[in-house]
Amino acid sequence: MKIRQITRNKDEYMDLLLMADPQEDMIERYLDKSDLYVLVNGGDVCSVCVVEPLKNRKCELKNIATRTEDRGKGYAKYMLRYICERYSATCDVMYVGTGNYKEIIRFYERCGFIHSHIVANFFSENYREPIYEDGVRLTDMIYLKKQLDSSVDVKKVVDLALEAGRILLKNGAEIFRVDETITRICNSFHVEYVDTFILSHAIFVSAENGVEEAYTKVKQIPLSASHLGIVAEVNELSREIAGGFVSIEEAKERLRRIDQMPAKRSYFQVLAAGMGSGSFGYLLGATALESVIAFGIGCILYVWVLTAKKYNISKMLVNIIGGVIITVLALAALHLPFAAPVKIDGMIIGGIMPLVPGLAFVNAIRDIADSDFLSGTVRMIDALLVFVYIAVGVGFALSVYNNMGGGLML
Amino acid sequence: MIHNFIMHVICPFVGTVAFAVLFNVPKRFYLCCGCTGAAGWLMYHMVMIYGGSAATASFCGTLVVVLLSRILTVVMKCPITIFLVSGIIPLVPGAGIYYTVFYMVNNELAEAARRGMESAKVAFAIVLAIVFVVSLPRKYFQPLYWMERKERKIRKG
Repeated sequence: MKIRQITRNKDEYMDLLLMADPQEDMIERYLDKSDLYVLVNGGDVCSVCVVEPLKNRKCELKNIATRTEDRGKGYAKYMLRYICERYSATCDVMYVGTGNYKEIIRFYERCGFIHSHIVANFFSENYREPIYEDGVRLTDMIYLKKQLDSSVDVKKVVDLALEAGRILLKNGAEIFRVDETITRICNSFHVEYVDTFILSHAIFVSAENGVEEAYTKVKQIPLSASHLGIVAEVNELSREIAGGFVSIEEAKERLRRIDQMPAKRSYFQVLAAGMGSGSFGYLLGATALESVIAFGIGCILYVWVLTAKKYNISKMLVNIIGGVIITVLALAALHLPFAAPVKIDGMIIGGIMPLVPGLAFVNAIRDIADSDFLSGTVRMIDALLVFVYIAVGVGFALSVYNNMGGGLML
Repeated sequence: MIHNFIMHVICPFVGTVAFAVLFNVPKRFYLCCGCTGAAGWLMYHMVMIYGGSAATASFCGTLVVVLLSRILTVVMKCPITIFLVSGIIPLVPGAGIYYTVFYMVNNELAEAARRGMESAKVAFAIVLAIVFVVSLPRKYFQPLYWMERKERKIRKG
């Protein structure tokens, strides 16, 4: 579902426009100076809508209609919401005039319009053919109005933007992406002045729309496991918000759902870790047999990583013990009676791979490249420490083995 | 030939996809992640064959990975991190860490220092390559820019 503004050949949509306004010359009177929007779903134009900007930050909804076969699907409501949000930046009040149709007036009231005024004898003076509704001839035009700026609430917008930022940062997005998303969401809901300060584990936002006082909020975000699928989803959502297709409430609901997106199933992750270990072991010089053992080591290692995650064991312990597990398993494989003699190097190198902090490393570099030095250094230290932890684990196990006298076999 | 193919195309491909799974990358990106990883490794391997040092090879491999990632980001409309992180994994000096520790434990400190320095050099090459490509302006990766440029040229000519 997409809404487009039409600037050329507006007459092409006359069929649909005539549904809401039966006289063609009346439509032509306003069509040229107004903005025409169409709602396209699956290649077909389902709804049209015409808005005429007036003086003094006012505008008038001149025409809104939906194809007969698509009625009752909420298209008009969706369209109206889009129009209200779009014009709230330039207008304060939107008017709409209609005949005395109960259903239509009820529809506008549901969308937040209230009674404004009545233009007497509008229909009887301007339309050649008399229009009848329930056997009663329409004579007067009833006007309804809606205050547009009430829909923009700085607090709500900033809360939404901050939530999006929190989810992004928590799941391993770069600093500039968080910054861009927060600013983009705020701007698309007409909060024009936004300042952000983002660290690797905290977000500060201050925003105002020029009417109310500035609103500032701080959020602390602990470092945790990353989930790139969520980053991709939030990115997609922020694009849609910027395009103007999502309301604040809808965006909130979708963010909540995105935040609860589960990680891949654990056995799948364990197998993936095994595959990673096996194939990189082979790539870095292991034999086929050694890579198969590396596969097993990778699987067992990841079982440990997942268990540790469940019990919130610190990163340092996870990696040191991970290094020990890899080495012990590789050393054990050395002593098992396999068909061919195995060497320890390939197995350990393969086994280490699932622990390597690729994401933190790459993000650190990108933050530094974007001149976000503070977050970049924090993440870089985080990544380097993980390398050190792994080395400590592997080194510890190797030296214990050496001292036990098995070193001759190494 | 077949062995080489398995070794230098299938292996990095499978490995990269496996890491994409660990990073919870959505399914629809697996293929692209795998290709990025394989392409980066192939470049690395080529440079190694023609006598480049590990650092040079990593630099070239990373260049390929980052360039591909930036192009794929525009095509698939998703964050660059997805391709970049998975694609770079084959080039991360995991082996370097191991050998450094191994020689340190065996008290061959000179060799340990040599390996350690080499890993550091590789890491630095990766950093340089990423910074280099990431700093290119965004517009060069948008098809619209090149189309407009072509049009302008045609109009001039």
